[in-house]
Amino acid sequence: MNGNLLAALVGICLLTATGSSLAQPTLEKLDKSGTLMIGTRTGSPPFAFVNKNNEWVGFAIELVERAILPVLGKKLNKPIKLEKKESTPQTRIPLLTSNAVDLIAETMTDTQARRDSVDFSLTYFVTGAQFLVKKGSPIKGIQTIAGRRIAAQQGSTNAKILRERAPTAKLLEFPDQPAAFQALVQGQVQAYTNDGIQLAGLKAKAPKPEDWAVVGEFYSYEPYGMALRKNDSDFRQAVNIGLMDAIASGLYFEIYEKWFGPQGEVPYPLAPETKRFLQMQVVPK
Amino acid sequence: MTYQFTWSILWSGQSGAWLFHGLVTTLELSILGWLLAAFLGILAGALRTTPLAPLKWLATGYVEFFRNVPLLVWMFLCYFGVPPLLPEAMQEWLFEHGAEFSAGVVALGVYHGARFSEVIRSGIQAIPKTQLEAGISTGLTLAQTYRLIILPVAMRLIVPPATNETLNLLKNSSVALTIGVAELTFQTRQIETYTAKAFEALTAGTLIYLSLCLVLSAVMSRVERRVAIPGMIARSQTGDL
Repeated sequence: MNGNLLAALVGICLLTATGSSLAQPTLEKLDKSGTLMIGTRTGSPPFAFVNKNNEWVGFAIELVERAILPVLGKKLNKPIKLEKKESTPQTRIPLLTSNAVDLIAETMTDTQARRDSVDFSLTYFVTGAQFLVKKGSPIKGIQTIAGRRIAAQQGSTNAKILRERAPTAKLLEFPDQPAAFQALVQGQVQAYTNDGIQLAGLKAKAPKPEDWAVVGEFYSYEPYGMALRKNDSDFRQAVNIGLMDAIASGLYFEIYEKWFGPQGEVPYPLAPETKRFLQMQVVPK
Repeated sequence: MTYQFTWSILWSGQSGAWLFHGLVTTLELSILGWLLAAFLGILAGALRTTPLAPLKWLATGYVEFFRNVPLLVWMFLCYFGVPPLLPEAMQEWLFEHGAEFSAGVVALGVYHGARFSEVIRSGIQAIPKTQLEAGISTGLTLAQTYRLIILPVAMRLIVPPATNETLNLLKNSSVALTIGVAELTFQTRQIETYTAKAFEALTAGTLIYLSLCLVLSAVMSRVERRVAIPGMIARSQTGDL
């Protein structure tokens, strides 16, 4: 019995130690399977959500479909299909590192700490953290939340920053956005913090949007990038070229207009400095 | 898979404190939930074996209703479904004083109470009816007979399945993370998202749960041996009740 246990433990140790030799570049994986698996959200309009017709659509999903898939297809000389898997702040990095998905295309902020575990594509959206409150609430921003009950998503950058900058606020962390929003609707919490654009999306999709207000200055800088595995430069290059081509050709702005324009799901005009920043990310060929 | 193992994240920075607070919350949740479940379980289990029809129906209704719906649904119901039905002032008080923890305790208690009641009912039914008749014939009321004769024996008979249910309760306390209770599993996921070291964080959680449950099982197996009723559990020829 003891001998078997020892052998099993040694076996596990060996397996994990030689793990690095099992890494397979994503482009090779795509070549074999012909399918790009992405991790994306189901409840974060308009980036990735299930719409009224039960379709899983969104700005991030469309960017991948129209800007990145064609580049991958051309590089591998075969059409690449897209498959979507649901990801949340807690599951997205494990999904990526376990090879369950190849790309995280949702509302993930590019941070230095996260770059220890994953690589990011170019920034494809810029926003900041704010608060969603019931209209008429006394909460106006990060200075006025002392002692209040605030909901956040577990594992989000917002929760982390709030902990440091407003330690007296009572933070309640939920696994996902719908649960956190429900807590706000029912009064379990007095405000919900998330990236401004996501709050705007929630407000636009609420049964009575006029009951809600997105308040506060951006108390954090949230550049969204698409996450992919480390040490995978060829795949990252392909994704970045896809994004750069889309920005240079105007496809990005066309897709942006569709989801964030005045007729879009969530009107959110592109600030001139953000547009400039996006354009300056496009390096010469 | 180019994964770097960094076990030091478990005790450096805030991770150690988080794990500790998570452990304390899990224990609080489990103990309070267990007390509620034990109370409801004994009540319902005993009532289901009595000949009193309305009480029997009530207990059966409770058991069938609560054990046939997933615990997760009860958690959501207690936290999101119940407060809107309460008066405003009470809602505000609840939310200010850890509504999610109370909802977790209540959900755990009623769900496991239904499961406990079945375990206790099987223990009671293993006792020969002659015991009940003997008790009544000495002048005790039905309630007294149950309290003084039937239940004490039943408790000693059901130690193994009761231990099983208690371990289940301890592990099911992790479901409370879906309503925002910062218990142990919540904290391991917290560490995982802040450090992106999934393997280390989840190993910590696994080891802590494993130790808790193994300690509990060890204690209960000693209890089992000490309260074993001679002739009923041990296969001895002199079966004397």
